[in-house]
Amino acid sequence: MEFNWESTVITMIAFLGLYLLLNKYAFGPLFAIMEKRRELVKEEISAAESSRKEAERNMEEQKQALQQVRKEAHDIIEQARATSTKQADDILAAAKTESVRLKDEAVKDIENEKNKAIAALRSQVSGMSVLIASKIIEKQIDEKSQEQLVDRYLNEVGKSS
Amino acid sequence: MHFFPVVELGGLNFDLSSILAILVSCIVVFALARAAVSNLSVHNPSKIQNFLEWVAEFVHNTIASTMPLSKAKTYVSLGMTLIMFIFVSNLLGLPFGVVTELDDAHKGPVTVLGMQIMSGEEVERLHEEGKHISFAWWKSPTADLSVTAGLAIIVFILVHFLGLTRNTKHYLKHYFEPFPVFFPLNVMKEAAKPLTLALRLYANIFAGEVLISTILMMGWIGLPLMAVWQGFSVFVGAIQAFLFTILTMVYISQATIHEHDEEHH
Repeated sequence: MEFNWESTVITMIAFLGLYLLLNKYAFGPLFAIMEKRRELVKEEISAAESSRKEAERNMEEQKQALQQVRKEAHDIIEQARATSTKQADDILAAAKTESVRLKDEAVKDIENEKNKAIAALRSQVSGMSVLIASKIIEKQIDEKSQEQLVDRYLNEVGKSS
Repeated sequence: MHFFPVVELGGLNFDLSSILAILVSCIVVFALARAAVSNLSVHNPSKIQNFLEWVAEFVHNTIASTMPLSKAKTYVSLGMTLIMFIFVSNLLGLPFGVVTELDDAHKGPVTVLGMQIMSGEEVERLHEEGKHISFAWWKSPTADLSVTAGLAIIVFILVHFLGLTRNTKHYLKHYFEPFPVFFPLNVMKEAAKPLTLALRLYANIFAGEVLISTILMMGWIGLPLMAVWQGFSVFVGAIQAFLFTILTMVYISQATIHEHDEEHH
């Protein structure tokens, strides 16, 4: 088998032609696509990174807001508790004073009624005793001295009762 | 004995089988590449596009993974063309052969489509020697030393051109390293590079085809052996294509990369 330099030249020409053709019609577009994909991946990664950061920030904000709300709720509950305690105390105090007042009034009323009753009883007893005494003594004693007498007795009765 | 149909035109010898094989290889590679990029898509690449992208990544990784694709484009294209062309070429001769037999009683020159592929005297002489004449029309282009030499020469020219233009000082200096005495050795080393490239590829593929034709002589008994050897030849073809590309890229990077650059990186 002899060396055929024409084949060598033809090979070189054919290979260079193939290289140029492939470069223009096949590899050029392919590399462009690969480059585009690389860019796309890069973009996607940076987008994912930024959205992750955004999410983290949002999360932080939410957490703070939640903390705030919790604190406020706690404050409100505390306040309500304080108010209610105070109100209860007030109501209790008012009820106590009211009851004391009512009791005092009742005692006073009772006192008054008692005094009235005693007075009525005294006048009746004096009338009745005059009748009884006049019947017993039969006009021997005049009415004036008799009344003095009855008054003295009744005073003694009122003191002992 | 197989002869290759060589046409003499205007004092030049054209080996028709080589030309045919080269053309077929080029067409197959180009059709493959076009098929791969006919439906390009960023989001949903087809299988064949994926394959070609894998080839691109592969070649890119072998040259300069540090170089971004936009910068290494020329080299990656070259590497991809090399690996695809050589691989297809290596496989071309495997599946079948086309051989035309010449009648032993044939007298005078042999012609194809009006072109003389063997002179009458040559036929006469071979007949007198008692040889059977047949022409092989189909082979791997890389099973021809003249073809692999063409590829190696391209690589040789490219490497030294790139070295001279891109990296002049360091390129010229490396001939005299480590001592000026080593100049002849360095020249021999540079000369041996394309020689080994061409011979390695040619020898591997040619040996494969020779063994195939030898096994064919065994007839039916050789069938399992043939299957094994065909499979192995595909493997060898891939390895050789890979090796040729890798070595080309290594030579290019040796010639173009500054030592300073390497220290900086």
